[in-house]
Amino acid sequence: MGFKSEPMTTMTPLEDKNSLFTPEIRSQIDKWIGKYPAGWKQSAVMAALSIMQDENGGWLSREIMDDVAAYLDMPPIAVYEVATFYSMYELEPVGRHKVCVCTNISCMINGSDKIVDHLEGKLGVKLGQTTEDNRFTLKEVECLGACGGAPMMQIGKQYYENLAPEKVDEILDGLE
Amino acid sequence: MTEDSMVTIEVDGQELKAKAGAMLIDVADQAGIDIPRFCYHNKLSVSANCRMCLIEVEKVPKPIPACATSVMDGMKVYTKSPMALAAQKGTMEFLLINHPLDCPVCDQGGECELQDQSLAYGSDVARFVEKKRLVPKKYIGPLVETNFNRCIHCTRCVRFSAEIAGMREMGSTGRGEYMKIGTYVERTIDSELSGNLIDICPVGSLTSKPYRYQARAWELTQSDSVAPHDAVGSNIHIHVRNNRVMRVHPKANEAVNECWISDRDRFSYEGLYSEDRLTSPMIKENGRWVETDWETALQQVADGLKEMGAGTGALLSPSATVEELYLAQKLVRSLGSDNIDFRVRQSDFRGGEPALPWLGLGIDEIEAVDAVLVIGANPRKDQPILGHRLRKAALNGASVCYLNPLEYDLNYHAEQLLSAPANMADDLAAVAKAVGATGAIIDDAEVKAQHQSVAEQLKQAGSALVLLGNLASAHPDYSILSALAAEVAKASGAKIGFIGEAANSTGARLVAAMPTDGLNAQSMLEQPCKGYLLLGLEPDRDFWNPTQAQTAFKQAEFVVALTAYRSASLEAAADVLLPMAGFAETSGTYVNGDGTWQSFAGAVQPMGEARPAWKILRVMGNLLDADGFDQNSSQDVLEQARNSADGRQLDNSVTADLGQERRLNGSGLTRIGDVPIYATDALVRRAPALQKTADAISAAIRINPGEAAKAGLADGDRATVIQEGNLATMPVEIDPGVAGGSVRVCAALAGSETLGGQFGEVTLEKA
Amino acid sequence: MKVLRNYIKSLFLLEMFKGMRLTGSYLWRKKFTIRYPEERAPMSPRFRGLHALRRDENGEECCVGCKLCEATCPAMAITIETGPREDDGSRRTTRYDIDLFKCIFCGYCVEACPVDAIVETRICDYHFEERGENIMLKDELLAIGEENRDRINSDLSAQAKYR
Repeated sequence: MGFKSEPMTTMTPLEDKNSLFTPEIRSQIDKWIGKYPAGWKQSAVMAALSIMQDENGGWLSREIMDDVAAYLDMPPIAVYEVATFYSMYELEPVGRHKVCVCTNISCMINGSDKIVDHLEGKLGVKLGQTTEDNRFTLKEVECLGACGGAPMMQIGKQYYENLAPEKVDEILDGLE
Repeated sequence: MTEDSMVTIEVDGQELKAKAGAMLIDVADQAGIDIPRFCYHNKLSVSANCRMCLIEVEKVPKPIPACATSVMDGMKVYTKSPMALAAQKGTMEFLLINHPLDCPVCDQGGECELQDQSLAYGSDVARFVEKKRLVPKKYIGPLVETNFNRCIHCTRCVRFSAEIAGMREMGSTGRGEYMKIGTYVERTIDSELSGNLIDICPVGSLTSKPYRYQARAWELTQSDSVAPHDAVGSNIHIHVRNNRVMRVHPKANEAVNECWISDRDRFSYEGLYSEDRLTSPMIKENGRWVETDWETALQQVADGLKEMGAGTGALLSPSATVEELYLAQKLVRSLGSDNIDFRVRQSDFRGGEPALPWLGLGIDEIEAVDAVLVIGANPRKDQPILGHRLRKAALNGASVCYLNPLEYDLNYHAEQLLSAPANMADDLAAVAKAVGATGAIIDDAEVKAQHQSVAEQLKQAGSALVLLGNLASAHPDYSILSALAAEVAKASGAKIGFIGEAANSTGARLVAAMPTDGLNAQSMLEQPCKGYLLLGLEPDRDFWNPTQAQTAFKQAEFVVALTAYRSASLEAAADVLLPMAGFAETSGTYVNGDGTWQSFAGAVQPMGEARPAWKILRVMGNLLDADGFDQNSSQDVLEQARNSADGRQLDNSVTADLGQERRLNGSGLTRIGDVPIYATDALVRRAPALQKTADAISAAIRINPGEAAKAGLADGDRATVIQEGNLATMPVEIDPGVAGGSVRVCAALAGSETLGGQFGEVTLEKA
Repeated sequence: MKVLRNYIKSLFLLEMFKGMRLTGSYLWRKKFTIRYPEERAPMSPRFRGLHALRRDENGEECCVGCKLCEATCPAMAITIETGPREDDGSRRTTRYDIDLFKCIFCGYCVEACPVDAIVETRICDYHFEERGENIMLKDELLAIGEENRDRINSDLSAQAKYR
C-alpha cells in the first residue's frame, strides 16, 4: 500500500530500545536495519520477525510482534499486517519440525497430492495441524521456487526434492 | 518536464488540458467523464487495489488503472471501449464474489457505490456458486457499526485512519481469501474524526451506529446547514424524514471543512430528541412550574423585563446565531441596559483581547504556514477540523509548538511546552524574550533551551502563526497572555490568531453582543443584576464560574431563559422558560473563526410549541414597544445585523498592558478547568452516542504522579476538591500529562457544577 | 302495410314471446351463476386480495424492513418504521401499516419484496365498520399470514415460475 511515509512511524517512538530483546538479537536486527537507507528502519521488519520466530521456537506471539513494532518505530498494526500476510510466519505454536509441502502447479502435476495424502496418513493429522506429540506440523505452502525438483517439501530450513511416499518416510524417520 | 507544465490528452475523443503529473481519474472527473472506482479518494493516497477504474490507453497492451496513471502529452484514453468495459465487468464480478446479497438489510442500500456500479458496469447473473466468506463483525466504538462480510478491501478506511485521522490503527491482515480489514487486536477507534469512515466506505461495511436501520436514503430530504459546535463552521447536510433529523453528513467546502466533519458535528443531532426538550412555555407559580401558552408567558416576560429595565443583564450563548444575538442585544439595549455579553467562559476582561479577534487567516491557509505556536488550546479536540488543518501543516513540514498546562495526545510531531497555568505567562514571556521582544514581564523572563528553540522556529519560518484558543481565553490572565502572544508575533513577524471559543464567537462581536460601557459576563455575575435574560445557556454547565452564576440567578428578581432544554439548574434559576428551536430547527447565520458569514435554513419544524429564538425575541420587542422589531423573516434580521456590523472590521491588534497584575500566582495547586470535547454545549451533552465514546470523559481529579504523591492520593481514590469554599468529590486519575502544580478538573461535566471558576487555587482532600 | 304488420306483432306480443323463448331455453340448461358466498368462483394463485405478512417455518417474521414495498407503492399506502430488534439486533420493522383505503391492489409491493414477506392473499371480501379499521397493522397482517399459511405457500409455489 502506498502510504505516505509519515503515518508509517509511530507518534511516540520508544526511547529506550535496550529494554527490548537480548543484546545479541538487537545486534542481529541492527545488522538488517543497516542494510536499508537511513529513516527506513521498518524495512527490516521481515528479518526482525524471522529472527524472533526462530528465537521463540518457531512462532510469533502478539507480545513479540508488539516488541518488534516498538523496536522499529512502527505502529503495531503494520507488523501484524506483515506477519499475517506471509505464510512463513506462524502465529500459533508449531511442532518441532514444520513440514511444508508445496502444492502449486509444478508439484501438483508431479503428484504432490499423493505426498500430502501420505503425510496426512502417516502423521495422523490434516494440513495445518500439529501432531499430538508436538513433533510435526503439517503445512501446505505456495511455490517455494524448486519446481525443478517437484514434488518437494521443506522441513525447517532444508528443501527435500523429487519426493515419493517412500522417500518421505525415510526423511521423516530420520528426524528426531 | 516540470510539474506545472500543461499537457493535452484525449479522453473518449474529447480533448482535455491537464497538469502534467495529474492522475487520469482526476482529469476525467474534472471533465465530467465518469470512471468507476472504489479505492480512489481524492483526499487519500492512491492504492490502486480495487481495479475498478481500469481503462484503455492507446498503445498500452492491457487495461490500466486510471487512478494510478499520470497523464502524458498526447495520451489517448478510452473509458468505454470494449477492452475497458470488459475489464470493469470482470473486476466487478470478482468484487461481488464474496459480497453478500444483503442489500435489503444493509444501511448503505440505496446510496451504495457498489450497488450503483454493479448496476452500471456489472453483469446481471452471478456465476459464482461456491460458499461466500464469513467475517465476524468487530466492535470499534459506539459511533461506527461494522459488517466486514460486505467489505471489498478497498482500504479507504485504513488509509483514512492513517493519513487523515492520524491513527494507524486499522489495517488489512491476512491475504487473499483471508484478508480482513480491522484492528487485529480488539480495540475502539477513538478519533474525533472517526465518523468520516462511514462516508468513505464505498459499501455497507462501516455504517453509522446511531442511524442504524432508521431510514433509507430515498426517504430522506436533504438540506444544507452549518455545524453549531466550533469556530470552524463546518458545512453539513441535514437529512430529514418525517420532520425528524435522521443524520448529518458533511457538505464539501474546500475553504472550510474539505469533505470531513468532526464526530461532534455529525452525531450531536441526537441531542435534539433528548427527553428533557422543552416543548411548551413554562412559568413558575408559587415555586411550581406550570405549562402555559405563549401569550401568557411572553406577557409575563415583557412585564418582568419592563420592571427590570436598565437592571437587566443579558447572557447570551456564543453558539446562538447572528440573528438571535443581534435581536437580543437590541432588545436589552432598548430597555436602557448595556449589560450584554456572550463571553460566558471568560474571566479576564482587562482589555487584553483585541477589538475583534478572529483566526487571523483563512482556515484553508493554516495548512500552508511554516511554524505555529499554539497557546492554551487543543484544536484537535476543541475544533477538530482546525486540528486536522494543523496536522496537515505539520505533515507539510511546519513546526508546531504548543504551550499548555496539559500535554495533549497529538497525531503529529509537535513540541509541547508543559507549563502550569500560573507559569504560562512566564514561559510565553521567555519565548517573547528569545524572539527579541521587550517589555514588562519579558525582560525578567528566564530563557531556557526549549523557549529558544520555539523562538528559532518562529523566526526562521517564512509564514508563522501564533494561535490562542479556548484555554487561553478562559485563563484568569488572558489579557497578559494575549499581550505576550502579540509581542511574540510582532517580534517574530508571525500572524496572530484567536480561535473563537464557540460557533459564533466572531459573529457575536460583529453584531455587538457585548457591552460598550455596561457590565460584562464576569461583572454581571459578580455584582448581580436585578434581572437576567439567558439565551441558550445552562447555569450549571455553561459559565466560567458555575457556582457564582447559579447564586446570581437565584437572588435575581426575574430571570427569563430562552432554552431548548429544561434542566434542574435552569428550573432553579429561571422564572420563565421559553422553548426555543434547537439546532436544525431554526434558520440563521454563523460567522466562523475566519470571518465567513454562513447562513442556513431550518431543516425541520421546531419540536412542540418551541419557536425560533429570533421570533421570540422579535415578539418580545413588540410587547415592550421597542423600535425596530418589525422584521418578517430571519433574512430581514440578517440584513439589519449585517448593516449594523458594517463599521466593524476583524482586528487582531492587541493593546494590553504587559505590566498588569497577575491573578494566578502559582502558590498551591491550580485547577485547570478545560471543557472536554463532548461537553461544550447543551446539544452535545445530550447526544447519547457521543457520550459513550472514550473522549466523553467523566468528572475526575486528574493529577500527575508527583503531585498525587504530595497530596497522598493514588489512582482510583476518591478525593474532594475545595475551591473557594466550594466542594466536589470525585475519583482520582493519575495522568502524567498534567503540569506540575496543577490539577485537571474539567468544567462543564456533571459533578463539576458545584465548583468555582475554570482556573483557580484548589486544595485536595482524600475522601 | 308496414303499419299493419307492426300492429299485429304488438297485438300478439310476438317480440315478448321471442324473448321468453330465449330466456326459457336457459331454464333447463346448467347454471353458470354461483351462490356467493356459499359458492366461489375459481381464483388464480396470483389473485391480488387482502395483504398478509408471512412468517418462515421457524416462526420468524420474513420481513426485514428494507422498505422497498413502501418505496414502490404508487398510492403511498404503506408506512414502515424500522430499527434494530432488541434481542438480536437484526433489522426489523417496528411499524408496518397498510391503509386499505389508499391501496389499489396493484401488487407492486409483492413484486418488490426481496424476501416474499408481503403477499396478497385470495381474501377479497371484508368490510370495515369504524374509521381507522382500514389501516391494517403489522400484527393483523401477520395474523392473516398465519391463518392462511398453507394457501399462501401453495400459491407462492404455483406462481414461482412466473416471477
